[in-house]
Amino acid sequence: MTADVIAAARAEQRTLLSEVEAKGLLAEAGVSVTETRLAASADEAASHAGELGYPVALKVVSDAITHKTDVGGVELGIADESGLRAAWDAIHERVSAAAPNADLQGLSVQPMAEPGAEVILGVTQDQQFGPVLMFGLGGVFVEVLKDVAFRIVPLEPRDASEMIREIQGFPILEGVRGQPAANLEAIESMLMQLSEFAEANPEVAELDLNPVFARPDGAVAVDARILLTSSD
Amino acid sequence: MAVTRERLTRALAPKVVAVIGDKKASGYNWLRSMKEFDGPVYSVQVDESEIPGIEELGIPNYKSLTDIPDQVDFAVCAVPRQVAPFIVQGCVEANVGGVTLFTSGFAETGEEIGVELQNKIFEIADPSGLALIGPNCMGLHVPGLGVRFNRDQPAGVQGNIGFVSQSGTHGMNFSLTGAAHGLYCSTLVSFGNGIILEAADYLEYLADDPQTEVIGMYIEGARDGQRLFRTLREVAAKKPVVIWKGGQTEGGGRAIRSHTASLASDQAIWEAMIRQVGAVAVHNLDEMIDVVKATLLTKRTQGNRLGLIAMTGGQSVVLTDAFEKAGWKVPTLSEESYAQLSEFFNIIGGSYRNPLDAAGTIGQDPKHLDTIFDILNADENIDAVGMELSATFMARRWQDKPEEFDRLIGSLKKFMAESDKPFLAALHPSHVEEAALTARMRLQEEGIATFPSFERAANALRKASGLAAV
Repeated sequence: MTADVIAAARAEQRTLLSEVEAKGLLAEAGVSVTETRLAASADEAASHAGELGYPVALKVVSDAITHKTDVGGVELGIADESGLRAAWDAIHERVSAAAPNADLQGLSVQPMAEPGAEVILGVTQDQQFGPVLMFGLGGVFVEVLKDVAFRIVPLEPRDASEMIREIQGFPILEGVRGQPAANLEAIESMLMQLSEFAEANPEVAELDLNPVFARPDGAVAVDARILLTSSD
Repeated sequence: MAVTRERLTRALAPKVVAVIGDKKASGYNWLRSMKEFDGPVYSVQVDESEIPGIEELGIPNYKSLTDIPDQVDFAVCAVPRQVAPFIVQGCVEANVGGVTLFTSGFAETGEEIGVELQNKIFEIADPSGLALIGPNCMGLHVPGLGVRFNRDQPAGVQGNIGFVSQSGTHGMNFSLTGAAHGLYCSTLVSFGNGIILEAADYLEYLADDPQTEVIGMYIEGARDGQRLFRTLREVAAKKPVVIWKGGQTEGGGRAIRSHTASLASDQAIWEAMIRQVGAVAVHNLDEMIDVVKATLLTKRTQGNRLGLIAMTGGQSVVLTDAFEKAGWKVPTLSEESYAQLSEFFNIIGGSYRNPLDAAGTIGQDPKHLDTIFDILNADENIDAVGMELSATFMARRWQDKPEEFDRLIGSLKKFMAESDKPFLAALHPSHVEEAALTARMRLQEEGIATFPSFERAANALRKASGLAAV
């Protein structure tokens, strides 16, 4: 499937995979992601949501839109079908105002994941070392403080364990101020899965799992972005 | 064709050496640098005007490598770049083990002619298995065999530090400044453009070299980063490796649309790689020297609790600051230690809480220092011991009364022999730099890890011990 998705993107001269495509590839590689389906119509979205279970999130899917929230393309915590249909229309209205020329493939439907500590896992290609893995806490920690750790692929289990503990914000994952501790083993195995995924797929130029919810019972990626290398 | 270990060993531990193209204008640097070489040295020079000067040095000159009546293991080539491919061809024909191309002006210039000449050299050398070092490098320094590329480098001394340097200057500076700290190389290679042999090849050699106890490396970039990464991982599992990464490469031109890519600076990736392989990152020559020194001369500890001995109250405060900032703890001693110290310690103008402000007590009776060491050795709250040796008060006195300095050194060595706890000394140059330097050289000769500042001592022992920074 991985090869098919990448081949399809290549055929359309795309380097950015949709969230649905990216999560599909990652799920196949064993990475825990929220199941995400593409809907071309409100009826289709309602049918997906019924199967996946409310509450759900709706997100715009378009090659032309890199940052979905910037164009009002995201609705979270939709409780039922009437809310879903209202959200479908609202997103279309906002996106057509903010990005009138963007071609939409539809909207993605996914169940709302139970929140946890937000972490980011990523892959990039280094000119000298090839694929490199990144780990950090999400939100302000990654954006402002740049509190992240890197490792060269392939990782050994010890590397996954050490990179999690290397960041300044590590105590947050151990549980502070009444927050539960995150399941560190789940993050470690997700890092090992990403290392294997990056090693097996050199055409992945950049990958972000942001955020991943790190909870006591496991870790799940609720958004995923994959950018392919520009030439093959 | 890969360079075999046998061929590489012929080049890096040569029995016969040749210098090609040395001349008066360079002061016969290469031939003079080989003066202490432990075996025959030959010159190859075709320029008639240069030959008499070479023969005056007492070195036999030949018109071609193949004329030399001996099997050359290692050749230095200092000819203009246009001639370099012919010399490399000559090395292949004469079955030379390896050659250093000091010659520059190749791919590093970015010029078409330079790139072409480099490719030509590669095409000649690669199929032959010739151990080609460089081009654009200073080459080889093996003090134990008297192989040098600079006349100030040590010769006739067997060192234990392997050093791999992409830069000739930093390699040379390590060998020269290191020697002033009592640190000597087993084998040092400056490899420049590294077209045949690159850093990973030298690292593999040094990992297996019985003379090499610790490996230092200066590097700016890797042609095959994955190979370097995997090699370092294997090598650092066998011997301590200290890496100084110089320079930044341009990450520009990449399509960056993710957080990960935007945060993955060259420096961040290199630091991560160094940590991942289990090597130690340093950032300048001084730190390289300090960490190599601490790695070689101090014992390893898992703990981070330090007992400190200072000569004055003021110094005991800043000595403690320096070590605690570097991640060490300076804890209180055990009740038993305090009971013993209270029996003899002079607390007028002194204190023994930890740090121990001990000048008065040691001045009263030098045997007290041995007692202090015995107490710190037995104390379970203490993992390592550091001591301020005051040049300000003592360096001139040590010159006037060398027996006092001998006695101090005896006490330090006794503790080092009896205890499993690492020991290190700090000796600020103070206002008597020359006397302090003489004292430091002596301490180094005695195998005592001595550093020119508290901060450098604290940082070196931390990095050598693998402790995290605060």
